[in-house]
Parts: sequence; structure tokens; C-alpha cells
Amino acid sequence: MNNIDLIEKYFKKSLNDEEQVLFDNLLKSDQKFKEEFDFQKDLKKVIAVNQRESLKTTLQGFEDKFKKNKVIPMKWLMAAASVILILGLGYIIYQTSFNNSPEKLYADNFEPYRNIIQPVVRGESVDTIEAIAFAAYENGKYYKAINLFNSIEEKEYLKFYEAMCFLKLDKTQEAIDLLLPIATSNTNVEDLRFNFKHKANWYLGLAYLKMGDKNRAISQFSILANYPEDVYKKEKSKLILKKLN
Amino acid sequence: MREELTDKILESLKRGDNATLEKIYIDNRVAFINFSKKFGLPEVDALDVYQDAIIAFHENAINGKINSFNSSVSTYLFAIGKFMIFQLLRVDSGIEFDSNMMIEEKNIEFDVNLYDEKLTNKQKVIAKHFKMLGERCKEVLSLFYYQGYTLGEIAVILGYSTKNVLKSSKSRCLKQLKEMINN
Repeated sequence: MNNIDLIEKYFKKSLNDEEQVLFDNLLKSDQKFKEEFDFQKDLKKVIAVNQRESLKTTLQGFEDKFKKNKVIPMKWLMAAASVILILGLGYIIYQTSFNNSPEKLYADNFEPYRNIIQPVVRGESVDTIEAIAFAAYENGKYYKAINLFNSIEEKEYLKFYEAMCFLKLDKTQEAIDLLLPIATSNTNVEDLRFNFKHKANWYLGLAYLKMGDKNRAISQFSILANYPEDVYKKEKSKLILKKLN
Repeated sequence: MREELTDKILESLKRGDNATLEKIYIDNRVAFINFSKKFGLPEVDALDVYQDAIIAFHENAINGKINSFNSSVSTYLFAIGKFMIFQLLRVDSGIEFDSNMMIEEKNIEFDVNLYDEKLTNKQKVIAKHFKMLGERCKEVLSLFYYQGYTLGEIAVILGYSTKNVLKSSKSRCLKQLKEMINN
């Protein structure tokens, strides 16, 4: 029997007494034999760890299969239903509150007032500063329009259009500062074309919405909604008030 | 559920029959997880312990440590698992457990050596190269060192004409592994 067979028998636990003595002696005296034995012992451990790892993977496979086949218990179904219900309600609440949020109301309703002062007629030469200003306004060149509006004689309607420019540029506070005197003025402008009081109420209301100032917005829309006669944006104001309350 | 441990089951496990192992895994899983919950083990940990217990059970089966025919598969599995849970809780909390907690399993012998899995640096090198060996070599070496088959049995399992052909094949595999490590 050679030494390799002895090692093999050791791993099979089949050394007899005589072989065991021989084995023990070789381990002490023969360095090469010891090295070979140690190597195989290490290998046995390595293989065991390796096998356990692959067995663990196999077991995880059983587990995945088990989870997939498992009938979902009623309580989980109920829990799932509750979650869906809560999410659904949350979505509806979110949607409604967003729909009625001041920002949304502003975005839905704001639209700069059309130029009724100096309609730009195609082909017609434009020479006055006011005409150039309105042309800029119509073309969406709001900064240019503001500069031009400021460079001519102060008129209420010019302030109004300048406010439109600021609103368009998201400079809401500047717009409010311009609109407030118009909305509160008592001057009675007979020519409706130049009467911007109610329009100022409307845009002021929208500007407050944009600022998130609900109460001030409500007071502006209320002026229009409760006006005894038919005025600019009366019905629209009622609608907004309904959504705000 | 209370399936008797028979030679047939032990032999299937040793041969690496996955269907037998899967049946054992599925049959005992729910009961074991519920059992672990009594010790306050979260399901994730319980599952981990359960899989380790199955591995230990499997190893005991193929090492011939399990040879008593008067107990069921689940008795063994739960004995091993309980031991592992205690070990885990002891490590986690430092609580010493009363030795009589193990009483009902005292007539069952098992070996749980999965906690000493740290490989030495030398073993890590061997592990790295073992993985790169050919499939046949890995199979032969695993059947010998892990499953504990004799060379004669492995020759039959793998269809070698004689034991000696397999023996030289095994020697070549060891030599190849050593060469890979030394180069």
C-alpha cells in the first residue's frame, strides 16, 4: 500500500489500527506526506463550502417557487385592497385640491387682455410711440412694451396694459401695484372702451391668486360677482369663487 | 409530513437528488418558520436559519451521521434548526440557554459545523482555482470529498470502466489543481 492509498483510506475512515499507526508516523516524519495530506484536507473543506453555497442557491430556488405558488391569504388581499383604495382616494383628493388651487385657477384663467386701443393693422405704417408700444405688446415683446408705455404721458389704460406685461413676465407684484389704483379709482370713465376698472378687478384677483393670497383674490372676484349690472367676467368670477370656497 | 427517514431518502440525498430535497424543503417550511417565530425570529432570519438547517441536515445525511430509523425527517430537521436558532440568539443577545431546552432531542446525534466556515488564506487560493477546474474533475473530487463515496462507487456512478481508471483520473485532477495554484 502506498502513501496515497493511506490518505484515501483516511478520508474514507477505513484505516485499520496498523495503518493508523503508519499514518500517524508518516505525518510526523515525512514532510511531503504531511503537505499532501494538508492539501487534501483543505480541499475537502473548500469543496464543502462550495457545495453549501450551491445548495443554498438550490434552496433559494425552492423558496422562490414556493412563494410563487403560495395562495395569497385573505388578509393580504384585504390589505392590498385597502392600499389601492387609499391610493385611489389620495389621488382624487390630490386632483380636486390641485384643480382648485389658486395657482391652477390662475393658470386656467389668465390671458392678457387684448389690445383694444391701437389695433395693429397690417400694412399700415406705425409711427406714434403708443402705436409702437402696442405693436410690441401684440408681438409679445413685453419688456420693450413696458419701456415704451413708461415713456409716454401717463394714462390709466397704459398702466393697465403695462400691468398685463408684468403679469405675462411673472412679475406679479409690479402688476398689482399698477392695477390697484385702477381698480379703486372713482373716476367715472364714460367711454367703456377706456374703462378698465372692472378689468383691473379681474386681473388683480388673478394676480392675488398667483401670489397665493386667497382672501384678497376673493374680495376682487366678489366685487365682480356681486355687481348689480352685467359686468366684465361676472359669471367667471362666480365660478372661481365657488371653487375657492 | 412525518415522513420516516429511510435508506432510500438518505441515498437520494447523497446522490444529490433535488426532487427529494425539494419535497423535504416544502413539507417542513411553514411549520419551521412558525416554530422560529416562537423565538421572536423575524421571517427573513427564520428563512435563513431554515435553509442552513436543511444544508446541515443534508450534510449529516450524506456523511452517514444520520442512521437512526426511529425518527422522522422533520424531527431531525427541527432538532438541527432549534440548535441553530439558540446559537443565533446566544450570539445576538448573549443569553445563556438552559440545557434542558435541548432535552427532547438528546437522543438524536447531529453535527452542526456550518458556523466555522471561514476559509484560511491558503484555502481561499484553493477555492479560487477549484472553481476553474473542469466539470468532470469537480464532480469526481466532490463525490469523493463531500459526498464521501468510495472510488469504487464513484466509478459506477460516473460510468468508468474500472476503479483504477477513476483513481488515476482523480490523481490527475489533484495534480492539475496543484499546478494551477503553483503557477
